[in-house]
Amino acid sequence: MTTLASAEPYERAATGRKADGVRFVPGQPDMWVLVLFESLVFTTYFTVYVFRRTQSPDLFLQSQAHLNLRVGVFNTLVLLVSSWSVARCVQTAREGSFRTALNNAYLTMLFGFLFLVSKVLEWVTEIEQGFSFTTDEFFSFYYFLTAIHFLHLLIGFVFLGVAVYQIKSPARRSQELVETCATYWHTIDFLWVLIFALLYVMR
Amino acid sequence: MSAATTGAAPEVPSGSLLRKIVWHWRYDEKRELWIGWWTLVVFYNLYGLLFFVIARTQPPPKPSLTAPEIVQWFHDRHYGLLYGYAIVSIVGGATAIMNATLAYTMRRMSVSRAFAYSYLVIYALATLPGMLIMGVACTVGAMRPDRNPALMSWLYDFAFLSFEGTMGVFLIGSLVWMVAVLLDRNRVFPKWFGYLNLCNALTEVVVAPAWIFKRGVFAWDGGIAWWTNMAVFVTYTTVFLTLLRKMILREDFGTGPLPELQSDHPPEPGTREAA
Amino acid sequence: MNRRFEKRLLFVWLALSAITLAQLALGSLGERGSLTPNAWVTSSAIVIALIKVRVIIREFMEVRHAPVLLCRLTDLWVVLTGVSLLGFYFVGRFA
Repeated sequence: MTTLASAEPYERAATGRKADGVRFVPGQPDMWVLVLFESLVFTTYFTVYVFRRTQSPDLFLQSQAHLNLRVGVFNTLVLLVSSWSVARCVQTAREGSFRTALNNAYLTMLFGFLFLVSKVLEWVTEIEQGFSFTTDEFFSFYYFLTAIHFLHLLIGFVFLGVAVYQIKSPARRSQELVETCATYWHTIDFLWVLIFALLYVMR
Repeated sequence: MSAATTGAAPEVPSGSLLRKIVWHWRYDEKRELWIGWWTLVVFYNLYGLLFFVIARTQPPPKPSLTAPEIVQWFHDRHYGLLYGYAIVSIVGGATAIMNATLAYTMRRMSVSRAFAYSYLVIYALATLPGMLIMGVACTVGAMRPDRNPALMSWLYDFAFLSFEGTMGVFLIGSLVWMVAVLLDRNRVFPKWFGYLNLCNALTEVVVAPAWIFKRGVFAWDGGIAWWTNMAVFVTYTTVFLTLLRKMILREDFGTGPLPELQSDHPPEPGTREAA
Repeated sequence: MNRRFEKRLLFVWLALSAITLAQLALGSLGERGSLTPNAWVTSSAIVIALIKVRVIIREFMEVRHAPVLLCRLTDLWVVLTGVSLLGFYFVGRFA
């Protein structure tokens, strides 16, 4: 990632290349390899969950009733806002408004942190009510899916940190790297959208 | 590509495979790297053959088997276990060459040598749970089929928990390689391979519940803990073997960025050299 | 920020949030006491989720402006996930 590439994004902003109809890969193409691969792995996990659910529908339903749908909705809304703020971060950085981009990046971190706190509180509540990882198959899947997502989210903070570091200094700014980090963050968001539907909503 | 500097016969001779191999042995400056690469390829294939076909310890059996069933399991695989793991114990030392070759890739990178050294240490230790402990436990079980069933159960659990449940070692190793690739300025490996290491590491975290569950998808033979993990691991291994081969072809024994593979015509001057 | 892009992002976010709130209603169907597996609720939950995912990919992740290959690959994943989830659900329940 050379800093000489930083001349480019200003041109992008100035010419409004989207209006030109010029197609570009958002961020490093390498990150998209990660996104697609991890998404495939998650699809496998989701499929296993759905299938296992059809084998014991009543057990899963009754256990699911102990989850709080409102908390799930709250989590989803929080991550959606964070995706919105990181998307704004990318666009403002592209146009050269780095102060705004930085604020948006911090905002994203804040919402991400809110999600983390909410998730931990939810786990604690469930455990206090007696529902742990080994309680039954539904809860095994619940903790597994939410925990592996949580882990991905923690890694997301590392990427956000890289984005912030890049934006802060004029010498380091790389639009491609900011877009790369944002791409990863959005992935965590859309994976959660699926987890929410599968754990909280589906019957 | 390489031979011009040796001052020896510059052209690979046409003719039989044997002649070519002898030529490479004598003149190819990359022969050690190629020996390393071929060792990796042969070993992984052999490993698959030994574990999956001969010993038949993979795919793993259920953790929920009862003691009599476990005795039967050992009985069904008596000769496979003994002969299979005898072979493993002979060729097992090849892992030293394999790990050295992979550590070499990190030495070629622009990052600190500490990465290569930590990788070496981690993966040297990894042969214990990743191969040897299971081998020993299974052959001990197979050696005296009339052993107390409770002891056989113990050996069975010990073999499979140590093999499936200790993925953490490989997890850290993957992360070390990932960071090295992402920080590297010599373009030894593409950045997406760094990210693939992250995928591999995360999938290995997923195996940890195998210590807790005796049935279901998180048990050591489960759909998530074993099958998905194995699919990711096989993909990852195939990918890095391919990338390693490319890397060796590109190797120029310098310390700067690795040149890209040349196509049929030489590159325009000044294009590749800009960072 | 360019007004058009800003408005578009805002609209997308509001739409996604609205759909999420609608899922609150969907998921509240059959609360305590009348819990039965419901293929309609499940199918719509999965389909709606995938629609949201595709919107996130195309709008927030800017795949709309990406080379056709990336558009196709992401769409392929969405379709694959939908087929896999719905397929295994119906096969598991009714086969």
